[in-house]
Amino acid sequence: MRHGVRTIKSKFNIWAILSLIFIAIILIPNGLIAVNVFTESNENWQHIKEYLLKEYITNTVILISFTALFSMMIGVSLAWFVTMFEFPFRRFFKWALILPLAIPPYIGAYAYHGLINYTGIIQSKLRNDFDVTVNQDYFSIMNNQGAIFIFSIFLFPYVYTITKAFLQNQSSSIIENARLLGSSSFETFFRVILPISRAAIVGSVTLVVLEVLNDYGVANYFGIQTFSTAIFRTWYGMKDLDSALKLAGALMFLVIFILVLEKVSRGRRRFSFSTTKVRPIQPKKLKGVKAWLLAGYCFTVFGVAFLIPFTQLLYWAFLTFESVFSSEFIQLIYQSVFIASIASILIVIIALIIGNYTRLHKSLLTSLISRVTTLGYSIPGAAIAISIITIFVALDGYLADLYRTLQIEPVIILRTSLVMLVSAYIIRFLAIGYNAVDAGYEKMGNTFTEASRTLGFSTVKTFFKVDLPMMKPAIFGGFILVFIDVLKELPLTLFLQPFNFATLATQAYKYANDERVHEAALASILIIIVSGIFIFVSHKLLEKEPA
Amino acid sequence: MTKFVRMSLFALLILSLSVFIAACGNGNTEETDSENSDASGDTGSEEAGEVNLYTSRHYETDQALYDAFTEETGIEVNVVEGSGDELIERLNQEGESTEADLFITADAGNLHSASESELLQPVESEVLAENIPEKFRDVDNEWFGLTKRARVIVYDKERVDPSELSTYEALTEPEWEDRIAVRSSSNMYNISLLASLIELNGSEEAAKWAEGIVNNMAIEPQGGDRDQAKAVAAGQADVAIMNTYYIGGMLNSEDPEEVKVAESVGVFFPNQDTTGTHVNISGISMTKHAKNSDEAIQLMEYLSSEASQEEFAAANYEYPVNPAVEVTGLLESWGEFKEQDLNLSVLGENQQEAIRLFDQAGWK
Repeated sequence: MRHGVRTIKSKFNIWAILSLIFIAIILIPNGLIAVNVFTESNENWQHIKEYLLKEYITNTVILISFTALFSMMIGVSLAWFVTMFEFPFRRFFKWALILPLAIPPYIGAYAYHGLINYTGIIQSKLRNDFDVTVNQDYFSIMNNQGAIFIFSIFLFPYVYTITKAFLQNQSSSIIENARLLGSSSFETFFRVILPISRAAIVGSVTLVVLEVLNDYGVANYFGIQTFSTAIFRTWYGMKDLDSALKLAGALMFLVIFILVLEKVSRGRRRFSFSTTKVRPIQPKKLKGVKAWLLAGYCFTVFGVAFLIPFTQLLYWAFLTFESVFSSEFIQLIYQSVFIASIASILIVIIALIIGNYTRLHKSLLTSLISRVTTLGYSIPGAAIAISIITIFVALDGYLADLYRTLQIEPVIILRTSLVMLVSAYIIRFLAIGYNAVDAGYEKMGNTFTEASRTLGFSTVKTFFKVDLPMMKPAIFGGFILVFIDVLKELPLTLFLQPFNFATLATQAYKYANDERVHEAALASILIIIVSGIFIFVSHKLLEKEPA
Repeated sequence: MTKFVRMSLFALLILSLSVFIAACGNGNTEETDSENSDASGDTGSEEAGEVNLYTSRHYETDQALYDAFTEETGIEVNVVEGSGDELIERLNQEGESTEADLFITADAGNLHSASESELLQPVESEVLAENIPEKFRDVDNEWFGLTKRARVIVYDKERVDPSELSTYEALTEPEWEDRIAVRSSSNMYNISLLASLIELNGSEEAAKWAEGIVNNMAIEPQGGDRDQAKAVAAGQADVAIMNTYYIGGMLNSEDPEEVKVAESVGVFFPNQDTTGTHVNISGISMTKHAKNSDEAIQLMEYLSSEASQEEFAAANYEYPVNPAVEVTGLLESWGEFKEQDLNLSVLGENQQEAIRLFDQAGWK
């Protein structure tokens, strides 16, 4: 009898209730989209099927497969080098390699196109000083390969950051044993590192894939027809929201398929420690050519993915500084940081709660819950925005009735406040926070929590006293990723912003949308600088902590 | 350490929640404050209301005009800037409860679809009727043009003699094979151009035109309008179809290379002896559920006035719709030209068909 009560209690505790509430919040807007797949198709849908669908699917599949491959190769190799070896400038690269994430891919696309196109610095230098005119075909990035390049260099930090966080606090004994048993670094990597970090790698590559799936800016600018551009063409061009949502719904099923694939390829094996003596890995000192080769590799990636586009933007910002800059920018920075901080803190908290629930109660329900968190990340922001507006209009209606009955003044309208926008961010970016936190939980394992529970702490007390301190790197990592994402987020902000509200991202869009790319540079630079400061500070905070 | 972490996390939680609540509450108190002052104030402040605006035009001059309007009338102008299509969708979803009084967007097609979705209301104003020619107004007075832009043919001054150019239709001739640059058919300017050709020449001819252009394209459609001019300057193509104001923007760019590109190409207004050059507008409309309609009409009239129209044209190299305003500088140097004689509502009506024809022609 007592036993029965305890099982029920342990299954329906505060974690479960909170998790289910958050999941419901995410499911409702996504559900609104999914339902559309099953509505009757109209003539536009026939048209899409006949003329467009094949090309959309082909291009989308090409983009996601190659971007996944390249970003994984870059991200994992960098994470491995930086954690395992000591080489020149390693401490700098450790955090600097996250920086490319701060450049929104579409701005990066503008920068690279601006750099190498006819009026760009390379061609105009060749033309004006050496009288060389080049074949434009070799100087174009406006094609599938170009898009893959842009996505890979600006999205690999997801893989890098999450894999690095995982490797960093790995027990050195695993690696040392491998070394003692005579494995070379190379062998260690393939036979030990890759298998144990599979979950982190697969999880982070999935984020990259989802990001590519919902990209609109790059594909539209380069003239590549993808699922995402198709949704907007149908919606805005044909004024057919139903068919557009149908496409979005189809995209969502594709995403669910990918997520299942992810779950399967993460494997069943769990690697966590059974001792408390987890010493972090001591990087192996490299000397001579090898050390400089690694430094050179890191620098090349850093240069291509950050320095070059950043310098281009900086140059444009200087060109247009006088005409663009106003005191308004201080306000913009403040508003952007403010809303990004709130959203990221809330997301990390929610991710911690759901993550804690799902890892302690393994069941079909919980594994479903953990999949659902990722849904919002894959769908074009504008499609999420529609369902959110629908919900908030209804919500405001109910609230207005409630206030009227209770005769409370003033009537609070949620839609005109930032509540709506922040909710949208949560739905969209929970995947990022959750992925980071989940990888942290996975690395920590359940043994410590179980020990603490056995010794008489409650789940809540264990969470604060045992779990949280060990989770710190994962929490910080998740916070930073979400923060940067919100800071550069565009479609949701554009769609849901209240009156007289703007962020750095919407400011950059204003110009870029009108092909005034030079004028867009200043706001983009500020996004990068603010993100850079956050990356740097959180990195320093983490370094100080004894692991 | 653990205690510290726990405390700091808790503090962070409380802080974020309180800031969050403060943020929500804040926006609200501001509103009630202004409402209260409206209600309790004397006659002076009663006149000074506010007007809420959704706009997809993002120019500093627009904001300067709103500021000047506020200074003159005391009416506050609150702005949400977004993309035209998304703002229409937002109005659609908000329905009766929308806060927006006015909606400004580029492209008559967009305005038309807002009107089709019953998001707008007719505005009867003598001032607007006087300032804005009939063809730049909706037949039911649901929207009004503010600025107009022409979609023209741009050519390389060395390789093309303007006498070779005549009409949009002539670009489909075999002599232009592999010589044309034009952007993607997802772009509204192209959609509206084809929509106008559907109206003037009929669907069949329009479909042939789209196919003919696709056959003569020198490069796959990519980039924006400015990139088309660059393709011509780089020798990839000999002619490009693009909007006039981008040439204006490039001629006045901070980047000397862009200026060179713009100087190397000529602007040709096609169809002067036939149907006229394709023009489009950006325009203003009052939302169906506008709560501040008096203030809204005042702003509409203000923006159509000669003084505002001069500002509009000067800032972005667009043409003013108000015929009383004379164009100067660059626009004047391009000379006067014959426009398509269409009521621009048809651009919206033919929009969906235009997209289908583009897809069938394989215009990316």
